[in-house]
Amino acid sequence: MSMTEKKKISTPQIISAAIILAFYVLVFIAEQTLAPTSMIFTVLKKGATYALVAVSMNLLNGFTGIFSLGQAGFMLIGAYVYAIFTIPLAQRAAVYQYYNGGIVQFTLPVFIAMILSGLVAAFFAYLIGLPVLRLKSDYLAVATLGFAEIIRAIFQWDKIGPLTNGSNMLRLFPTFNDFNIKNSSGEVVVYLSTMVPLLISGVCIALILMLINSTFGRALRAMKDDEISAEAMGIHLASHKQLAFCISSFFTGVGGAMLAMYQTTVQAKSFTTAMTYEILLIVVIGGIGSVTGSCLSSFLFVACSEWWLRFLDQKQVIGGFEVPLLRNGFRLVVFSIIIMIVVLFFRQGIMGTRELPDLFRKKRSAAKKGA
Amino acid sequence: MAEKILRIEDLTMQFGGVVAVDHFSMVINQGEIVALIGPNGAGKTTAFNAVTGVYTPTSGSVFLGEKNITGLRPDQITALGIARTFQNIRLFSSMTVFENVLTAHHLRRTSNVFTATLRLNAAEEARMRKDTEELLKRVDLYEFKDEMATSLPYGKQRLLEIVRALATKPKLLLLDEPAAGMNPQETEELGEFIKRIRREFDLSIFIIEHHMNLVMGISDRIYVIEFGKQIAEGVPEEIQNNPAVIEAYLGGGEDL
Repeated sequence: MSMTEKKKISTPQIISAAIILAFYVLVFIAEQTLAPTSMIFTVLKKGATYALVAVSMNLLNGFTGIFSLGQAGFMLIGAYVYAIFTIPLAQRAAVYQYYNGGIVQFTLPVFIAMILSGLVAAFFAYLIGLPVLRLKSDYLAVATLGFAEIIRAIFQWDKIGPLTNGSNMLRLFPTFNDFNIKNSSGEVVVYLSTMVPLLISGVCIALILMLINSTFGRALRAMKDDEISAEAMGIHLASHKQLAFCISSFFTGVGGAMLAMYQTTVQAKSFTTAMTYEILLIVVIGGIGSVTGSCLSSFLFVACSEWWLRFLDQKQVIGGFEVPLLRNGFRLVVFSIIIMIVVLFFRQGIMGTRELPDLFRKKRSAAKKGA
Repeated sequence: MAEKILRIEDLTMQFGGVVAVDHFSMVINQGEIVALIGPNGAGKTTAFNAVTGVYTPTSGSVFLGEKNITGLRPDQITALGIARTFQNIRLFSSMTVFENVLTAHHLRRTSNVFTATLRLNAAEEARMRKDTEELLKRVDLYEFKDEMATSLPYGKQRLLEIVRALATKPKLLLLDEPAAGMNPQETEELGEFIKRIRREFDLSIFIIEHHMNLVMGISDRIYVIEFGKQIAEGVPEEIQNNPAVIEAYLGGGEDL
């Protein structure tokens, strides 16, 4: 560690940056060479989406000490805002068939719509935060959980159907596949349908990391450590909590928009509490207070649930012998057991509170001796 | 007469039927070290909490200089220039020594969350870090800067808590039993340290303490309370010879 406290870019940081860059390059190459239907791309797309939402949740749970369970609600808002404003005009009559083509009669560019998704989610977070952030720990969790359920019900309400299409599906909006660059005859020249979501997610997570490492991030961490002491240091608890809640919800909303693109359809009833628990599980497995952990565990979680453990749901016959127990639903049993093992033996999650550069750093004490 | 930095007027703090502080008044002049002593449960920390905004007084007022600060939030009061330490150490446990002190600079920021996230406040951040570095060097904690705050020896943690409070740039420093759990040697060093920071940082200091050697050694004036009421006020010699104080501490002789 350097003697002066000036921020220098250290070797571990360079190594980390190189790893991330290499990852993106590999994905790009893989996308051009492998078949687009390969499971790996499904995992990367959904993983990128979940990673962003998990990191947003970690900003609250791991860095600010706010235990919120409203993720599914904010994702729903993000997904709907994105879908509502990007369905091409020509398709609206088909999508909103029961509502005379809906009331929104214009479309926004994809990236503008994504930012709007975040802003609307953040606005809802602001309103909900006013009463809810006065609550502590479990009470806050229950209140935010309730909010997500209410939002899910409201978005299916028939009366606002011209906007949300009621309980019907929103579809035909631009998806990840529309990021592929096509030539005039409609053939894909450059595949970017995995790359772009990874980039969006990467930029958002980088912004969250920069926030965490700023003076505001220190204030949030101070609040998590000790609210009374943080307040005595001049940190206004209510406004900083509100800030963290809105920022986290902004990125959760963007994550919701990405989920809409991944799924290609949006329907309020799919944004259940189970979705929030999946995100919570990712955060816990990755390590509460580690951005790297949340990212890693997102991809692992998605890979396990969508790909690696799929074979457990089908009958497998090995050498004329039918393996017992394998049937539809068995995957979830094995998955639960894996999670229990992780929780029992890796209490701190995969990463604890460490980040990627910490893995290449000598132990604190050793570094001090060297200095 | 020196300028009055803190004025407590007729402060009462009641919790249900319990009157923890009962019509208590006091002043601290610019540059003074004033101690508040009294038996356990006399209401000393409650008085501190009423001054720093943790509690809103049931009645009475608190003035910082000419400004009435009664009922303001703790962070507003810190921003106006009162910093404090705690009876049970409350450092930020996930942070290093350096980060603990650096966090105290957040209060005096001019950046907002966007400029800070996008690093447009680089000059301010650099100044915060430089100030922290200098402060740690001045109090001989710089060599521990990358240690986790809670891994420091007990005496150093107490010291760090005072330094963190200093980083908020206070006019008045409130120390709640800073010598608790310290041995005589450490207590003596602490006394010297308190006098030194008063001089170097142009502070007034309000201290709650049970170590009488320390209190008598550094205080300009002492207030004594018992059951929330003031029973004596004066310079250390007067307090040492005050019969009411002796009775409060040693107990009355009604058994005999």
